[in-house]
Amino acid sequence: MKRRKRDGPVVARENDMFEITLSADDRSTLLSFVDQLSEILAMGPDDARLRRLFPTAYHENPEHDAEYQGYMRDELTQSRAASIVVVKEVLESTELITAAQLHAFMTVLNNLRLVLGTLLDVGEDDFEDDIDENDPSFGQWQLYGYLGWLLEWTISALSGEDN
Amino acid sequence: MIFIAPSGSQQTEVAEPSVDIATDEVVDLQVPWVVIVWNDPINLMSYVSFVLQKLFGYPKAKADILMMDVHEKGRAVVSNGPREKAEIDVFRLHEHGLWATMQQDT
Repeated sequence: MKRRKRDGPVVARENDMFEITLSADDRSTLLSFVDQLSEILAMGPDDARLRRLFPTAYHENPEHDAEYQGYMRDELTQSRAASIVVVKEVLESTELITAAQLHAFMTVLNNLRLVLGTLLDVGEDDFEDDIDENDPSFGQWQLYGYLGWLLEWTISALSGEDN
Repeated sequence: MIFIAPSGSQQTEVAEPSVDIATDEVVDLQVPWVVIVWNDPINLMSYVSFVLQKLFGYPKAKADILMMDVHEKGRAVVSNGPREKAEIDVFRLHEHGLWATMQQDT
């Protein structure tokens, strides 16, 4: 049984439905980042910012990898674009959403985080809380932290956890 | 090697397997392929565990162990099987933004 979360931005409701309780401002901010992700994706998988979204499949065999990328990259791009369409609908409405829609929301949040983390060159020992507010990338780090926070709540809602 | 290694400290411990052309050419079709997830400093631990549960139907306890292996040892084998199945698994992991590769389990 799913219990109601008190403070989270993603809340499990009855009948396996979910509610995203973000403010209108947060929704429109997120939408603008999702649009930016779309634009970067449209530039093609070779864009350096996308390297984590299109990894090598055969790390031992460049020939096999080239073959694999030949038939899988377009499919991967299309799958990402399809998730973005779902997420835009989710963010533009305040209706309850299904687990499948929330799953798409989760993957798009993660894509955004991967792109931003790549731009910030995040390392194993880097944490957003350690960044000085005078750091030129402070705003990006704030966003990175925000996406992580939202992602954690999304995962916990999808997992049916109460805390 | 196309990989651009993450800048984390974990990376120094991860020796990527070297390519052995001699064995690569006598590929045994019966030898299964393994799918490996590599450590990445960006993906959240909870996210990696959740994706492994979702994609492979693993119980949380098993997914958590694999996730901790990725985090602490730099990599973990998350599935195996014929090449076609391994390719599908890799694709689904890539769809979810995980750093997955495959190799024949020699």
